[in-house]
Amino acid sequence: MLLIGDRAAPLHRRAVLQAGAATALGLSWADLLRARASGPTTARARSVILLWLWGGPSQLDTFDPKPDAPLEFRGPFGTIPTRVPGVRFTELFPQLARLTDALALVRTLVTPSNDHGIAGTVGLTGSGAGGTGLDGKPLPGSPRPALGSVVAKALKASRDRDLHPFFVVGGKLHQGKKTIVGEGAGPLGAGWDPFRMEYDPATGTKIPALQLPKDLTPERLADRQALLAALARADARAADLKLDEHRSRALAMLTSPTAAAAFDLSREKPATADRYGRTRFGQSCLLARRLVEAGVPFVQVNWSDHVEAEEDSGDGGWDHHYRNFQLLQDRHGPWLDQSFAALVTDLRDRGLLDTTLVVAVGEFGREPKVNDKAGREHWPGCYCALLAGGGVKGGRVVGTSDAKAARPADTPLTPADLNATVLQQVGLTSEQVTGLGLTPAGRVVSELL
Amino acid sequence: MWVFFFVTLSPLHPFTPSLPQRLTTDGSFKQHLQWSPDGKTLLFTRIHQGKMALWTMPAAGGEMTRLLPEHKEPHFDGHFSPDGKRVVYVYDQLQGTDGKLRINVCNADGTDDKTLVPHQAFEESPRWSPDGKRVLWVSTRNGSPDLFAVGADGKDEKRLTTDPAADLHPAWSPDGKQIAFTSGRTGRQKVHVMKADGTGVKKLTDGEFLDAWPAWRPGGKQIAFVSNRAGNYDLWLTDADGAGAVNLTRHPGQDTSPAWSPDGKTLAFVSTRHGGSDVYVLTME
Repeated sequence: MLLIGDRAAPLHRRAVLQAGAATALGLSWADLLRARASGPTTARARSVILLWLWGGPSQLDTFDPKPDAPLEFRGPFGTIPTRVPGVRFTELFPQLARLTDALALVRTLVTPSNDHGIAGTVGLTGSGAGGTGLDGKPLPGSPRPALGSVVAKALKASRDRDLHPFFVVGGKLHQGKKTIVGEGAGPLGAGWDPFRMEYDPATGTKIPALQLPKDLTPERLADRQALLAALARADARAADLKLDEHRSRALAMLTSPTAAAAFDLSREKPATADRYGRTRFGQSCLLARRLVEAGVPFVQVNWSDHVEAEEDSGDGGWDHHYRNFQLLQDRHGPWLDQSFAALVTDLRDRGLLDTTLVVAVGEFGREPKVNDKAGREHWPGCYCALLAGGGVKGGRVVGTSDAKAARPADTPLTPADLNATVLQQVGLTSEQVTGLGLTPAGRVVSELL
Repeated sequence: MWVFFFVTLSPLHPFTPSLPQRLTTDGSFKQHLQWSPDGKTLLFTRIHQGKMALWTMPAAGGEMTRLLPEHKEPHFDGHFSPDGKRVVYVYDQLQGTDGKLRINVCNADGTDDKTLVPHQAFEESPRWSPDGKRVLWVSTRNGSPDLFAVGADGKDEKRLTTDPAADLHPAWSPDGKQIAFTSGRTGRQKVHVMKADGTGVKKLTDGEFLDAWPAWRPGGKQIAFVSNRAGNYDLWLTDADGAGAVNLTRHPGQDTSPAWSPDGKTLAFVSTRHGGSDVYVLTME
């Protein structure tokens, strides 16, 4: 029996063998285990929830306001104090402002591209390798695995086998009509790709890998007999159907009482569901909490599958080239404030926050100068991430931006740095993983810890 | 389930508080509520099955119906003409990650749809004047959001505000002589009023809060508006001179989009108090 890291969780040899052989980068599962076993025993997070704010939220209109900047930069929103002296948010985030004793803020992230596709790949994998932008030409190199795949593979061994270790709640990330690179496991192998669920306020939870009968929602999956009967009928209609890996995995999970219970949002008290907000993002955050509670190591919640604010089923992305302020005031601001605050509070109330690292970030920020459509353009030069739990110290603010939140005045940090910090908090240091060739270099943001 | 409703009674605003009555339960995002002039219909923006569109519903609640079902692109923020026969609204022609906003006008049944104000920049919040002769709207064609007015025939466009701060959310006074609007010209979004020709701007609300979306009560003596002064969006009511503001809803949910019934006795609004986004009405005796 092998032991992993500091948790001394049992790992059966068969599981190691099943976990697969070397990756395209020459890294084997055994290498990962050795890396964990030889590393420092600083793991604090058993799970990670990544709130992926697709489209690029404005740093000035959220968590790095510049009330003294000229009007054409600062925007229309006032600022409010937080529980951290001298740190203010815009007035759209009163609940998060009251929670800053549990939150840590990075204000000086930079990313190399202002193209959603490339910056999205960088944000999710720590590298632009293999990423594809608007011109359709992939960048050199093979795509790196998503952060979620790395964490999932590293932590899977000690968890419930009924549940896949990496979930994405939300649709596949798109730029235009093309999916972006970076949500998959890449060289780690398809077995570590995310298992995708979606929530729609009108229809409830969906599992795209399975085309379940319309009356058989995940909320009804506890009724195993109904599920099996329905699936048998479906298979009878397609007797020659060969189940692909995702569908097989989905079936295995859905016939597990543990997994079915984790998916079942109807088990929540209505008041709890209300606190998260009955938006797609709000209920997706609630689903993420249920998955973490059931032992899933990594859950990524996609705010939207498209960057545009108006072009998908419900909430719309953060790519506010126009109507930025109205959208923030009416929808995105209050919804993020409510759902993120509810998630952190709920995790804390359940004793899960210390072991669950929550990260909210997009692929870049927005241009400080307001354009002539009451919007802001893309801006890779400076943007924010908000973190909570998992060993991150509440009340910390890392980095200071310049007078217009255009560039870091100090402490420039990259998505790779953020990812390295996540890996350290789950027990893998970024240096170890980088040394093994799995992810690009990034420094652990020790100021957060 | 009813939620208890509290209100701070003020000698300036004698009325009997009522419980908000919930008219919708689907929870899909809604905003920009408007009553038809005959009081029988509510018009609003709704995001349903991925599409932002104009919807109507009987004012007492009931089936929601799309006004312009043939439109494939987002359209929103409709406003009835005073005779109830026409609707102005914003049409958003999508182009990649950008959108080209324009002001359209159609019959109240959705027919005879055409452009009133072509796209030049951000064009939003069209509001018909009480006499039906002009339409007020917000445009960034000069850089920042300003208020403009145009004849109902699309001619005689005039710029009403010029401040570099954002001027938004216009609302005509019932007599058509004044316009209430939101402006950030003093640093925070506050409710302002001015004469219909754009002169005589006065700040109506004060304080370190966001005040927005004014809705003039029929009769002209009071204005409802949205404010986060109690910590989240609530509906507030003030006298038309800015005195005696009281919180009408006082609820941890987000209460927005105030809209008065034509007789001024009922205030409709959108609230997230039950998690989703739904329409409620409050009787104001």
